[in-house]
Amino acid sequence: MNRMGGTAREPAGLSLKRVHKSYGAHEVLKDISLDIQGGEFVVFVGPSGCGKSTLLRLIAGLEDITAGDVYISDTDVTERDPSDRGIAMVFQTYALYPHMTVAENMGFGLRAARRPRTEIEQKVRQAAEVLRLTDYLDRRPGQLSGGQRQRVAIGRAIVRDPDVFLFDEPLSNLDAELRVGMRIEIARLHQELRNTMIYVTHDQTEAMTLADRIVVLRDGRIEQIGTPSQLYDDPDNVFVAGFIGSPKMNFFKAVVQGADRLRLGETELPCPRTDAAIAGPVILGLRPEDLRVAGPEEPGFPMEVKFSEFLGGTTYVYGEIPGGTGCTVELERSRQARPGTILTLTADIADMRLFDVEGMRIR
Amino acid sequence: MIEANPSDEAAPPTPRRSRKGDWMGLVYVLPAIALVVVFFLVPLGMTVWMSVHDWPLMGNPRWIGLDNYQRLWGDGSFWQALGFTVLYTLAATVGLMSVAFALALMVQSEGRATAFYRTAYFLPVVTGFASASLLWAWLSNVDSGLFSPAAQMLGMTERRVNILAEFTPAFWSVTIMVIWKMAGFFMVIIMSGLQAIPADYQEAARIDGAGWFQRFRWITLPLVRQPFALALILCVAGSMLAFDQFYIILNGGPSNQTVTAVYKIFNESFVSFRLGYGAALSVVLLLILLALSVIQLRLLREKGADK
Repeated sequence: MNRMGGTAREPAGLSLKRVHKSYGAHEVLKDISLDIQGGEFVVFVGPSGCGKSTLLRLIAGLEDITAGDVYISDTDVTERDPSDRGIAMVFQTYALYPHMTVAENMGFGLRAARRPRTEIEQKVRQAAEVLRLTDYLDRRPGQLSGGQRQRVAIGRAIVRDPDVFLFDEPLSNLDAELRVGMRIEIARLHQELRNTMIYVTHDQTEAMTLADRIVVLRDGRIEQIGTPSQLYDDPDNVFVAGFIGSPKMNFFKAVVQGADRLRLGETELPCPRTDAAIAGPVILGLRPEDLRVAGPEEPGFPMEVKFSEFLGGTTYVYGEIPGGTGCTVELERSRQARPGTILTLTADIADMRLFDVEGMRIR
Repeated sequence: MIEANPSDEAAPPTPRRSRKGDWMGLVYVLPAIALVVVFFLVPLGMTVWMSVHDWPLMGNPRWIGLDNYQRLWGDGSFWQALGFTVLYTLAATVGLMSVAFALALMVQSEGRATAFYRTAYFLPVVTGFASASLLWAWLSNVDSGLFSPAAQMLGMTERRVNILAEFTPAFWSVTIMVIWKMAGFFMVIIMSGLQAIPADYQEAARIDGAGWFQRFRWITLPLVRQPFALALILCVAGSMLAFDQFYIILNGGPSNQTVTAVYKIFNESFVSFRLGYGAALSVVLLLILLALSVIQLRLLREKGADK
């Protein structure tokens, strides 16, 4: 038994096999295949309209699947009712029943399953203790703060003791400070429960901090699956490279000349690839923290400073390189960069990422 | 050094009141107040005034104090009319609320055909009660109507039967007409309440394993309580004031068994021209309606819930 009174069973895995979803002629999910290990915390991330919430709702059974299969614990649940899939879901709007108390909300699933009252009370109390909601059990959702409501929504999911937890942008209605607190709370819960969790967000910071693995979606397709560090350090394409990381990666048009030189405007830089086959136009990706002011003898490219943001521990400087391309660089806090100043920037060869003109990574 | 403003912790300051704002507010509500005064309070005062007089159609009214109310107490035909009105109100309200709720559930979702069905169900509402009653009187006519031949064809009766000649079929015929005519109106009120329930609630309940009936009982019904209360109060008030349909279709028959309270008031005031007595009956009916509305509001008031 875990602290919630749930049975200590093997966490359930989940598989999506060639999943498609269309609304009429509009295809919102295209050929999604994915294997999630039991106990994994997987985050679906992507811009608005990429299909991440729809994918979660397909897993939940709230939307009918157009083609493909959903497996939970090696059982095909594609045609099953949401209540028979062994899942619990936390909604963006909390979806707490306003006319019920916190205890009634949390025990709703067990009440619907006609469990004995003593069992419902015991499980609700256990979940409330874990979520520090014991003092609020008799209140109604309208009498709680946003963070407390979110905890009740999570509590309602926990009480059902599901195989898989689904979170649909659960923190997007909270203010910045509460969001950080709840993020830590959810991470702590995952460590404690060890259940499989699938979490949808458009916030790449949430994705990076919570996920064992991140699934990046765009236009209904999976762009890349990997651990946060894999996606950050080794993105497959310009989209993933730009989406993961804040501030986002800088992209510059460059030309590979010969086998080992990279021309960026008037500047020649060493090329991370020594392969004559890639000669020609490329996109050079450089993260703001990988750029630095070049030493006196180092080759570098000029950037005219437009403005800077002092963030306490660090400073982000925004500017333009010749040709008008925007560029962001992270400097140490002591460094001053006034608007109009020209900085000569460079980066280590190991931090340069090359992409072809189609945006695909050149490794 | 900057210190925290101590007033941050204190109670919020009293909002400044502007005298100009007060006057403007009064101007804004003046049309509404004028309407209420002219079309409700003045007629109500006049009715009460009439009720303490012997007020013939011709001649001078004569002050008689509470005599009309005393007479009313012993007037069996008024209590019979009131009893019938309560019976009709019960039947019509249960029928209307059930049908309207069912219709609202059917047409609440956005679909290609739902707009058509909403219009179709609402259409009888725009027919006047008098027109609908005339239509129903014709349909119920034993010779030229449709109901009697239809009942005969379906084998429900051996020969054509005048369904308006006996109390029970006549009563239900009128009640069904009212349900047909008014269900669309209450459907719209209840539907607005159903549509205001976020879809997330139903989805969360589905995931929680609640079946259709459990969701209806535990989620839909409590959350649609306020519009339902409005529909119920309007329905009860409307039914307690029923007149046209019983006057036009049944003319109070058979054997004066379908004379409603308002029908009785009409007879006293405009057939027997006892305007003072009719006014006293109106005042009593108003008080009964007021009491019924208060009871319904209290019973259906939400206890501390907020959406």
